[in-house]
Amino acid sequence: MALDSRTVSVAAREAAAEAPRRGRWSAAGVRRVAGKLGGLALTLFLASLLVFFSRFLVPGDPVSFLLRGRKPSPEAVAQVTAQYGLDLPPWQQYLNWLGGALTGDFGRSLQYRQDVSTVIGERLPVTLMLVVMSGLLIAIVGLSAGVVAALNKGRPLDRLTLIGLTVLSAIPSFVGSIVLIAIFAVQLGWFPTFGSGQGFGDMVYHLVLPSIALAIVFVVLVGKVTRSSMVEQLGREHVEVATSRGLKRATVIRRHVFRNALGPILTVSGVLVAGLLVASTIVEAAFGLAGIGSLLVQSVDRLDFPVVQAIVMLVVTAFVVVNAIVDLAEPWIDPRSAAGASAR
Amino acid sequence: MSQLLDIDGLTLELHDGTRLLDGISLSVAPGETVGLVGESGSGKSLTARTVLGLVPERSRLGGRVRLDGREVIGAPARDILDLRRHAAAMIFQDPRAGINPMRTIGDHLTETLRRCEGKSAAEARARAIELLADVQLPRPEEHFDQYPHEFSGGMLQRVMIAGALTSSPKLLICDEPTTALDVTTQAEIVRVLVELRERRGMGMLFITHDLNLAASLCDRVVVMSRGRIEESGDARRVFTAPEADYTRRLIEATPSIAVRSLDGGVEPDASSRADASGRMDASALAGPMLEVRGLDKQYQLRGRPPVHAVVEAELEIPRGGSLGVVGESGSGKSTLARLIVGLEAADRGEVRVAGRERGAAPHGRAERLAHAKSVQMVFQDPYLSLDPRIPAGRAIQDVLRLHGGLDRAAAEARALELLEAVGLGERHLAARPKTLSGGQRQRVAIARALAIEPDLLVMDEATSALDVSVQAQVLDLVARLREERGLTVLFISHDLGVVRRVCERAVVMRRGEIVEQGPSDRLLREPEHPYTRLLVDSVPRPSWEVAA
Repeated sequence: MALDSRTVSVAAREAAAEAPRRGRWSAAGVRRVAGKLGGLALTLFLASLLVFFSRFLVPGDPVSFLLRGRKPSPEAVAQVTAQYGLDLPPWQQYLNWLGGALTGDFGRSLQYRQDVSTVIGERLPVTLMLVVMSGLLIAIVGLSAGVVAALNKGRPLDRLTLIGLTVLSAIPSFVGSIVLIAIFAVQLGWFPTFGSGQGFGDMVYHLVLPSIALAIVFVVLVGKVTRSSMVEQLGREHVEVATSRGLKRATVIRRHVFRNALGPILTVSGVLVAGLLVASTIVEAAFGLAGIGSLLVQSVDRLDFPVVQAIVMLVVTAFVVVNAIVDLAEPWIDPRSAAGASAR
Repeated sequence: MSQLLDIDGLTLELHDGTRLLDGISLSVAPGETVGLVGESGSGKSLTARTVLGLVPERSRLGGRVRLDGREVIGAPARDILDLRRHAAAMIFQDPRAGINPMRTIGDHLTETLRRCEGKSAAEARARAIELLADVQLPRPEEHFDQYPHEFSGGMLQRVMIAGALTSSPKLLICDEPTTALDVTTQAEIVRVLVELRERRGMGMLFITHDLNLAASLCDRVVVMSRGRIEESGDARRVFTAPEADYTRRLIEATPSIAVRSLDGGVEPDASSRADASGRMDASALAGPMLEVRGLDKQYQLRGRPPVHAVVEAELEIPRGGSLGVVGESGSGKSTLARLIVGLEAADRGEVRVAGRERGAAPHGRAERLAHAKSVQMVFQDPYLSLDPRIPAGRAIQDVLRLHGGLDRAAAEARALELLEAVGLGERHLAARPKTLSGGQRQRVAIARALAIEPDLLVMDEATSALDVSVQAQVLDLVARLREERGLTVLFISHDLGVVRRVCERAVVMRRGEIVEQGPSDRLLREPEHPYTRLLVDSVPRPSWEVAA
């Protein structure tokens, strides 16, 4: 019914226009939010199934890891198996794990002999700080690059920005890390090469180079999306109308161009969060940071299933929640999406 | 008398040296309405935009543009802002594109008051609501916090006009303000504009491609073509006794709904031709070519009441006949066409073409080919309906080889024949759509549709995207093809004048229902249904004819 969406939308518009009503908390709005939350719960549930049962597909037996270096007597094997609940049928193991996970208890780490939550809790601040600093960098540098390029479209500054972004996009984060260490830490000695420091200020100082290395690729992404979205909006007729009404250029850009260009930028940002968490494994390894990323790599290496499961669930949850927030923010960004209007 | 707007020898060149405006001179006095007419690319919009300093980047301007006694060309940015804020305001063509969809109506209206005049939010709101009442928008307070997508096109255009009036401009520039609207809505908007002009004593520069509209509204007109002025003067004089060749051609090409009485059959309309062909073609007795009985279609929408797009439609076209379907946007006329062609399935009812039932979606290759062969469609926008990568000749050959099983050489020869039949030639065989003009593209689309000699040709707003002179060529082409090949045509249009020119009979649709049908001349002369009368009355007429 491609062509006839016009017929339909005209009729719907007339109906809507005849009965003006407002209020963001309409029944349809509440239904939408409830639907989103339901979808979120379902996604997390399916992810938990995948995360938990994939362990049974991976070669390697946790018991033999636990008893490594010892001659496993049948009694010892039985004891360890029972201690970690590995003698139960898989579905019961899953239910136990899920019940624990919902209360923040992901079991015990096999390598550290500590609660998983404790192990992760010790390393989470570093990763969070890294992601937050990177996020700020991406927002500031990416948005400015995109805006500057769009406002100078076709001029040398635009070309220069685009070339710069393209060059940056060709630098993988591990190469970026090494180059940054070589120049700013080893040659110039401005920043430390290793570790995450003690206390807040020191941590920020230690994380400057890693967050730059992490941000590079994403700056390119945000910059290019910002540019194209702004360029598209700049050509719109409502921008010309606003200009013709005597508004200053800066006001027009802020209120009509940038504001309207936010949609695609926000959508990309949602995807970006997961990318940041995943890419942080590489950067953490390069800078010797004791964060979640390096913990994940190490735990996979040592078959530390509970830790791997917990981290993967954490990343999945962060991703799904951020994207749900982006989705829910959309009516605020673009009022048409709340009404389900298809015409852009 | 001092002029409000005085343009003298205006030229505009792009940075690459392309000259878009060449020696434009015109003036608007306070309280006067000057029409700026011409076809697309004539530079009329650009001329108007120059007045507000809205020119393409890096373009070079020459000549003089004085607005309210101040020079615009070369003025510093501060002065330009001041002119935009106090001297002149502009109404744009498409209100749906021209009002920021992400901000409320209230924001659109109060933005300049708050940001440029420093009014408080409450003051601005009160002023905006006053203006909305001025443009006759019902219940303005309730609409203040609504978003543009909740409005119809006509309501939005009122908002746009109110927005232009916030600055109490002395000159109102209207750039095709009703082109995107239905004819009845156009009549309402024009009424609003005329009333405002009288009450405020504004000067108006009114840009339009529609000569009838210009004639109904303007004191003087300026006719433009390719960046030059062809002719200017008193509106009545220009339209009744044009001096320039171009103006004469433009007036001839413009379809009119005025039905000349017995003596003055100046315009060869379809009805008289039909009589001749009807006598000539005895096979008209062999049953109708298209027969539609009880056709019904509803769209079910999630969370909204269903839309009844076509209600129990009944129509018939005899062999070699032509039927016009007239209606405004949302009337269901396009849905009707799509049901007849088979692009969508009807809920109920039957469609017979040449006596054969056109059932649901065809199964299998043979059935699909037969289905396509009996009915072909020409779409509204020739820029979208031709594949940009495929040359015109091949587009036609592809159809021929698919349906006719012709070999390459035969298909090529036949494609050339078809192109010649629609007034194109050998050099267009290898032309890609990009290199063709709008009219040429629509000719290719028609040639492609005719290639397999369909029983019925459906044209859905096939000339709406074209300039009047090009439209006239396409309409002449259709008339000639009907005469030569006895083609049966279903012609869908919002334009009564065009329908009258092509079709001997017409049906009028409103909200999915056929409210009236009959010979097109009769519909125009003595409309029976009130809606048909409203449609006919809404078509603009020259002010001197209304007065007479």
